[in-house]
Amino acid sequence: MEKELLTTTTGSVTLNVTAGKIDSYRRKDETQNTVRVYEDGKIGVAGSLGDADWEALTAAAVEALSNGITYPCNLEANQGELDTSCGILSGEEFLPAMQRLLDRITAECPRFGISNKIQLARFTTTYQNSKGASLKASDAYLLLSLVFQNKGAGNLYDCAYGAQLRAYDEDAVVADCKKLHDAFYTDVDIEAGEYPVLCGFFDVLGSAIQHLVAEMYVSGASLFSGKLGQQVANAAFSLYDDRDPRTNPGSCFFDDEGQVAPDYRQPIIKNGVLTNLLVTKNTAAMFGLPPAATSGAAYDGVPSLTLSGFRMDQTHASVAELTKGKSILVLIASGGDMTPDGHYATPVQLAYLVEDGEIKGRLPELNIAGDFFDLIGDRYLGSAPNTLLPSMRDSFMACKMQVTK
Amino acid sequence: MIFNPLYYADVRVEDRFSTTVRIFNGMLQEAKVRTETRAFLRVFDGEMWYYASTTDLSRVQETLDELYAIAKPNEHIAHHPVVKNFQRNRDTLSVFAGSSVRDISLEEKREFLASLLPLLAADPCMAMPAGVYLDRNSLYTFTSSLGAEIRFDYQTCGVVLSCDMVEGEKKFSASWQKGATRYKELKGLEQEIAAEMAEQVAFMKRSVPVVPGEYPVVLSPQAAGVFAHESFGHKSESDFMLSDESMKAEWAIGKEVGSPILSIAEYGEILGSGYVPYDDEGTKARKNYLIKDGKLAGRLHSVLTATVLEEEPTGNARAKDCTFEPIVRMTNTYIEPGDCTFEELLAPIKKGYYIKSINHGSGMSTFTIAPDVAYEIVDGKLGSPVQISVVTGNVFETLGLIDGLSKELTMLSFVTGGCGKMEQHPLPVGFGGPYVRVSRMKVQ
Repeated sequence: MEKELLTTTTGSVTLNVTAGKIDSYRRKDETQNTVRVYEDGKIGVAGSLGDADWEALTAAAVEALSNGITYPCNLEANQGELDTSCGILSGEEFLPAMQRLLDRITAECPRFGISNKIQLARFTTTYQNSKGASLKASDAYLLLSLVFQNKGAGNLYDCAYGAQLRAYDEDAVVADCKKLHDAFYTDVDIEAGEYPVLCGFFDVLGSAIQHLVAEMYVSGASLFSGKLGQQVANAAFSLYDDRDPRTNPGSCFFDDEGQVAPDYRQPIIKNGVLTNLLVTKNTAAMFGLPPAATSGAAYDGVPSLTLSGFRMDQTHASVAELTKGKSILVLIASGGDMTPDGHYATPVQLAYLVEDGEIKGRLPELNIAGDFFDLIGDRYLGSAPNTLLPSMRDSFMACKMQVTK
Repeated sequence: MIFNPLYYADVRVEDRFSTTVRIFNGMLQEAKVRTETRAFLRVFDGEMWYYASTTDLSRVQETLDELYAIAKPNEHIAHHPVVKNFQRNRDTLSVFAGSSVRDISLEEKREFLASLLPLLAADPCMAMPAGVYLDRNSLYTFTSSLGAEIRFDYQTCGVVLSCDMVEGEKKFSASWQKGATRYKELKGLEQEIAAEMAEQVAFMKRSVPVVPGEYPVVLSPQAAGVFAHESFGHKSESDFMLSDESMKAEWAIGKEVGSPILSIAEYGEILGSGYVPYDDEGTKARKNYLIKDGKLAGRLHSVLTATVLEEEPTGNARAKDCTFEPIVRMTNTYIEPGDCTFEELLAPIKKGYYIKSINHGSGMSTFTIAPDVAYEIVDGKLGSPVQISVVTGNVFETLGLIDGLSKELTMLSFVTGGCGKMEQHPLPVGFGGPYVRVSRMKVQ
């Protein structure tokens, strides 16, 4: 009988912000433990919260073998440890530092009402198995999730600042909030037509992710069905599930089945070629698909899928190089979707006009649309570091889309 | 529990039982029963709230004392306006004692799910059949330093069936879901499932892309419920009013916000996924009108927001689970019915669309609905199935364009998904309505 042991310990302090002031403090500490056992092609899983009684958990996992869940035992002996939990802010300085930040943002952004959450979080995850694997990851990060209301407009929210940071630079955060604020109150306009659109892959095309799931791919219902190993996108387009905590704070460099992707980034599309699908060890074996480090699992569940966050190969040094002339920066696009044949459309609730790498002002509400394979194919322009709002996200992708009002 | 009189405090405990059975392509993928007990503690000193959660109930008093230690003692806390607004209910509700899903074996649930899966093989175009059975039974206790002591139970169970449908270049992801509060309500649904799957096969084979434009639209109770929840329900959550002093004037009660035939209500005592007889700070549920006859009639509150805005708590302070603090959330949100039949709603429409089922929706100043199954309406009758990416519109303009409501109210419950608000997702809610006709929506 083979065996896997996992433990994840998480801790966080979360502050609530109302009208620019911190009004609550929430502490959470939790440990989750998992035992998986494999025998005769079956898997048994048991999990617990708090201090682990490994003997009892193992007995429960062995008992769960009787459920008869088929699962391949394909354990690897990976070794590694990565601790990126360097100090961002100490527990003592966290609350006063965040109130100081909020006071500065309030002063620089006087027409915004500021609310939502700030969190200081840490985790340690360990994975061991009976083949000798031993993996350990620790990370800590600061999550800034601020919602801005345009005072007097009566809306739920009008603008937002979000960042998951390991290195905290108060001045940079304040500067980007001020950029968001000042541009929000500078009205600009464009004619309908085709424009380069700057966004994160998941922000605008997240509805395409299900088409990369193994089960949908094999059924034939995926837009990618039958295209594994084929050119599906522009040669400049590469897409990874980024498990490198140095570029994706809060991520664990191994997946929940102890798999480690090359350079901690699992390629999905490489140079335009579909190289991998989203699989567990089970679905990879079941469908004869290449393995990928994309497994997740509830602490008491059979492995399923997870994604840590997308990253693309950067093709340009700056937004100014990526999009010459006028382009559209998508900041809030909620409610979009794709038809089964790949036509994508979404309203854009907040977009800024960018011209030659500089934010010029706020555009009226827009609609953007395009064919999925065009957007990552002929109309794909590339990816560049976020030189517009550098303290927020790491990078933007750009593609030409039809813009209507 | 020993409460310190220099602070307000409350303790919420949930004993949650849940079952997950998943069968994919004929193979069992998950069969688990989980029991978790968590406590969430709140301490208020008149200036700040302090929260903590624990999975070790033997540490509740210790955790409470730790929160007291970081808060500031306040001799006048009992006179604080927020504290004075807390209800002090003492009640025990045991709605599911005789029908708990805890009393049904995992084997029975597994066999039941397996018995439904042949319905996903009725047509050659169907592939990768998947079935999920989910249930949850929660026993809540709420205790406060003011003497509140409440116990109640909550239960949902349901089945989600899905498969991919492929014929040549035509593709569709089909699904069917039934949410209920008692296990026996899930039985005898085979004909309904078969009919639903046959309709989705026909949709996959015959549907054509919509010609984008502005059209009259008829929304099913599901689509209408999502529309009510997304377009106006979230705007009724009054915590969004706390960061902008001008909000109270902007959202004055009595302001005209929709068509005169439109009323939207909210009520936590309706059994289903949005059942909340007492909210997570001990306030008893009550029926709240958000819109009555087209005018703003009320909003949803926690004790804090009610106090700040000088209104009454409404029983809408809810948390996703016992690791989060309660914030203002919906329970069951619905459009009240009117006086038309479904056929009467269609009759005056020369060219329009009927949205039968939806994938998701969202709402800010512009709302969106992403349909799954939709049909054209031609000369007052349902026509061919159509593929629609999204239906959108300005919220207030669209609320004013509602010009027909059918007679019946259908409430819907769910066992997957739920409402998302900032960090707390998913929270079970219910929604529904009659069939709703809107004279103009943007369809693309």
